[in-house]
Amino acid sequence: MRRLICAAIVLVVALAGQALAETAQEGIEADASTRQVAITSSFTGTEILVFGAVQNSVQPSPEAGTYDVIVVVEGMPAPIVVRKKSRVGGIWINTRSMRFASVPSYYAIASTRPVDEIADKAVLDAHAIGFDHVRMVPIAHSRTEATDPAELKSFKEALIRLKENERVYIKSDFGVSFIGRSLFRATIALPPNVPVGPLTAHVYLFKEGQMLGEYDSRVMLQREGVERYIHETAMSRPFLYGLVTVLLAAGSGLAAAFAFRKPA
Amino acid sequence: MTLYLPIAEMSVSVIVYLALGVSIGFLSGLFGVGGAFLLTPLLTFLGIPSAVAVATSASHVVASSVSGAVAHYRRGNVDIKMGLVMLGGSLAGTYLGVSAVKILRVAGYFELTVSLMYVIFLGVVGTIILVEGINASRQVHAGRGTATRKSGQHGWLEGLPFKMRFPRSKLYMSAVPPVIIGMFIGCMSAIMGIGGGFVLIPAMIYLLRMPTGLVVGTSLFQIVFAAVVATVLHAVENKTVDIVLALILIVGGVIGAQFGSIVGTKLRGEHLRVLLGAVVLLVAARMAFELVLPPDDVFSLATVAGAS
Repeated sequence: MRRLICAAIVLVVALAGQALAETAQEGIEADASTRQVAITSSFTGTEILVFGAVQNSVQPSPEAGTYDVIVVVEGMPAPIVVRKKSRVGGIWINTRSMRFASVPSYYAIASTRPVDEIADKAVLDAHAIGFDHVRMVPIAHSRTEATDPAELKSFKEALIRLKENERVYIKSDFGVSFIGRSLFRATIALPPNVPVGPLTAHVYLFKEGQMLGEYDSRVMLQREGVERYIHETAMSRPFLYGLVTVLLAAGSGLAAAFAFRKPA
Repeated sequence: MTLYLPIAEMSVSVIVYLALGVSIGFLSGLFGVGGAFLLTPLLTFLGIPSAVAVATSASHVVASSVSGAVAHYRRGNVDIKMGLVMLGGSLAGTYLGVSAVKILRVAGYFELTVSLMYVIFLGVVGTIILVEGINASRQVHAGRGTATRKSGQHGWLEGLPFKMRFPRSKLYMSAVPPVIIGMFIGCMSAIMGIGGGFVLIPAMIYLLRMPTGLVVGTSLFQIVFAAVVATVLHAVENKTVDIVLALILIVGGVIGAQFGSIVGTKLRGEHLRVLLGAVVLLVAARMAFELVLPPDDVFSLATVAGAS
């Protein structure tokens, strides 16, 4: 009898566990509205829509807040130098600098609520989610470069602040909204000065601080038409490009002189 | 209407830059200067990266000085031999200047160097022009003519080697001073993105003692070629020439220059010089203030390889 009860309990627990596991299999599917953004001579910035759905959502309503979604759109990593001015003999001169081996050239983050409330530091660090967790690797180069941790922190903060001022680092704490039990969306702004190159969109799904899934998508950002032609010429055939510029300049100068020539 | 600049990588209002081109052109037509010394600071003020501003201004110098150079050449006001000798020095100087820009950008001192050079050169030259203009207009009011220059006297310059004959200027002198002057101007123009006429003209009058009638034509002749080389070198070495920005500015500039020269003929020479001196000093003062006043943000960003 006892053995039977034990067996029954084990069976019930196992069944319940299985049922729980079935309902808990939540996943994420997402995509960006545009896969290709063309930078033409009339480019003045644009917006991309990142949308997706939570699979097997148990969320009773869009406002319930069962899930947290974080959308991160990142540009290509690039090396960067942060310089700091100080007063030397009455004038302001760059005296200290900090070189970072690779920093995202563009970083936009949107979430259902502030990221620090969604997950703990270790998770955010691991996935480079949020301005404070973006990977920035400093490299020591010369003796004028900062090494002290407090100074390093001030340089990192300055880097983020300056990138935010340039509008290439964008944070929107409540930028992701659920429009159904499972459907969510976020708009990400691409400013006119967005660095040209491929963008990666990461969409993360969280529930009670646990990451349930991640979905990645690529957005191509490239020059098109005349913009592309001019830029390619300037980069790959600089001599020809310089010559054409000079000819255009000299030509217009002479043409104007001819057109406006005073009747002698 | 906005346009995306391919090299500066930013979207700008065409009207604003066209207006800037017209105003610079107006001033250059009015005073007979290239106007790039005003253009470069204004471009950086509007948010164009300073390396792009400098390189693009060099192409503007080509457009604004070429018509003047041709006009002077037709009237026979160009000492081609002297111009070529100076050009030789100037080309070496331009190369040095463009290389210096490259090094300074990497080191993070480019903006500072440009600002300091502007403050020093514009300050000194502006003061000279202003004082001279005021003196000249006083003399005119007092009924005296302007002082005539002493010809053929060079003092210490007499002892230098490589003597050459410059028949057009009626000078027999060493080739060293014109080469060094050319080199200095070339280097300075490449770093500051200017033609350098406002330094070159006084140097030719007071150091080389060239006949005044030939000075403007010869300096324009020299500047056109130096600016052509500077533009091409900037394009090759720094990849910072923005052709779209250059075109907008040039179109505005050539139109403005015509109106400027019409107004210029209605003003007296001395008054023009006082005005020019004042404008030059204003620019110098503005840049000096920027160096001395605490910046909005002590931190700044720069990409390692390219555009600052």
